[in-house]
Amino acid sequence: MDAHVAQLQMQYRNYILSLYQQGFLDDQFTELKSLQDDGSPDFVAEVLSLFFDDCVKLVGNMARALDQTGTVDFCQVGANVHQLKGSSSSVGAKRVKGLCINFKELCEAKNYEGCVRCLQQVDVEYKTLKAKLQDMFNLEKQIVQAGGIVPQVDIN
Amino acid sequence: MTVEQGVQAVDQFPVGMRVLAVDDDQTCLLILETLLHRCQYHVTTTDKAQTALELLRENKNKFDLVISDVDMPDMDGFKLLELVGLEMDLPVIMLSAHSDPKYVMKGVKHGACDYLLKPVRIEELKNIWQHVVRKSKLKKMKGIVTNGESEGNSDQNGVRANRKRKDQLEEKDEEEQEQERGNDKKPRVIWTRELHNKFLAAVDHVGIKNAVPKKILDLMNVDNLTRENVASHLQKFRLALKKITNEAKQQANMAAANSHFMQMSSLKGFGSFHHSPIPLGSSQFHGGAATMRHYPSNRTFAGMFPHVSSSLPRNLHNDGGHMLQGTPFPPLENLHINSNNKAFPSFASQQSSLLVAPSMVLEGHQQSTSPSFSPHLEINKRLEDWSNNIPQSNVHSEPDALGWNMFGNSTNQTYFCRDTDFGSSSAAQADSLQMKQQHENIFSPMTVAQLLRSSSANEGLFMGQQKLENGFMASDAGSLDDIVNSMMTQEQSQAEFSEGDWVWVA
Repeated sequence: MDAHVAQLQMQYRNYILSLYQQGFLDDQFTELKSLQDDGSPDFVAEVLSLFFDDCVKLVGNMARALDQTGTVDFCQVGANVHQLKGSSSSVGAKRVKGLCINFKELCEAKNYEGCVRCLQQVDVEYKTLKAKLQDMFNLEKQIVQAGGIVPQVDIN
Repeated sequence: MTVEQGVQAVDQFPVGMRVLAVDDDQTCLLILETLLHRCQYHVTTTDKAQTALELLRENKNKFDLVISDVDMPDMDGFKLLELVGLEMDLPVIMLSAHSDPKYVMKGVKHGACDYLLKPVRIEELKNIWQHVVRKSKLKKMKGIVTNGESEGNSDQNGVRANRKRKDQLEEKDEEEQEQERGNDKKPRVIWTRELHNKFLAAVDHVGIKNAVPKKILDLMNVDNLTRENVASHLQKFRLALKKITNEAKQQANMAAANSHFMQMSSLKGFGSFHHSPIPLGSSQFHGGAATMRHYPSNRTFAGMFPHVSSSLPRNLHNDGGHMLQGTPFPPLENLHINSNNKAFPSFASQQSSLLVAPSMVLEGHQQSTSPSFSPHLEINKRLEDWSNNIPQSNVHSEPDALGWNMFGNSTNQTYFCRDTDFGSSSAAQADSLQMKQQHENIFSPMTVAQLLRSSSANEGLFMGQQKLENGFMASDAGSLDDIVNSMMTQEQSQAEFSEGDWVWVA
């Protein structure tokens, strides 16, 4: 069992590191993790679920704003992008945040096609991240179920 | 929080500092809340600015600090910032994903204590308590200045706790502070710059047309400020506004100025100094007596230039705007400042002394001939007018917020207060310095506001010595600023004064 736990932990560690290396997560995520403690053991999960709910909502808003026959309200789109940028940067969703920065510029330039494309990318990106983090949480659960503790991964 | 709890909180400050966090983004709000908890603050969150305002209004002393996002759907973060600052005078920290300096500038201009960028780091939040201390320190100073216990008595846990915290931090005895406050209590309200700014903000908020004392009082939310205080201040403000408006229309009515002086002197028992010199600067300031808004009340003026009497006479003429309340020419013996050359033939020779005196007072104005005084006189006159409303039991310094503020009231006022102490050169010098600066400001619309503000601040320093009027001055200053800016052109003022070599623009 210990070996199993150790193996899981190793797997977990590697997984986390890969997420950072691939640019899915950044330091802010580390900060978030550091805020999790015995007092709030599900803090990260809670925050991330809120974040993904926000993503769904904001992407939906933007899709609606961009899907208008007639004039597109880029300000509205921009406002949503801004909010997404804020929340993604707060949770450490690095790629999503990066896309938001581009997206913002496209909105300011009122580049319709660019915005639509960017929105699609955002949509893909947050869903990918969601899946990856879900895997991470699953690993954590497995470790705990196997009797081990989730290791603190040190991102150099 | 009971007082005991407050004390306990104080003991551990910044632990337990009560923060209200506002952000429409629930992800960020949760993170913020957690971070704040990690810093050991007491946190209340809401995702609506309106709710935040309600919470704050419900109990002004329930929170020590507000952190708010800038972009919120139900209310602009800057608007919330303004309202919180105006109504509750709590430190507000802005939070935003906008790193654009113009947003930061906007935040600062609207009164934010700090502007943090998202994502917020815990290190930044660990230091926010300093804003609470700073603010309570300012409040304490204001409390000392504004008689009464604007901050302390109303005593709310928060405020008291803040002050206590501050004390604690400064290792100052709470009793000492209490005593201090007690000693500083004055029967009158001094309209410090801060208080005046609050007044202005409140007036802006309701609109000058809807400005009623009750509303303004509520918005200002200052303890120990009565509706009557606000009412008289508002009255002065309105008069000042009107006068400035009139002034702009009518120019150069020295007679009025002269009469003002006379009035002033009569009030102070200094006799009237009409100074013909007024024309030099008077045109700008007046269309007539009415225009002398900016000038401090005679009293102060009179006080300022004990020696003036002799030199002022230059253009003294009793006719011209008989603003004087009393006889245009008070008995000579009462006239320290003689508006009538004849009355004091020695003035001629004294003129130099006058010049000198003012210089003492004005530090550098001496080069100006007596005319230089006229601006003062005019100013005095203005203030006089404006402080006319205020029963001035103290000759010392009528608030003439307008004028005197410009003259660096605090100093001047002190000076003026010493009716008998005209000879104190040091005071004069100090005053003159201020006056000089003030004058300069008066004439430069841009700086008028600054002056007025600064002068009222100065006034604050002189709390004890200043009378109610001073308060008005400050307030007038504020209102006048806008008016002056729009009404008066710098050139105009400069031109007017140039004649008299008015060294306002020191």
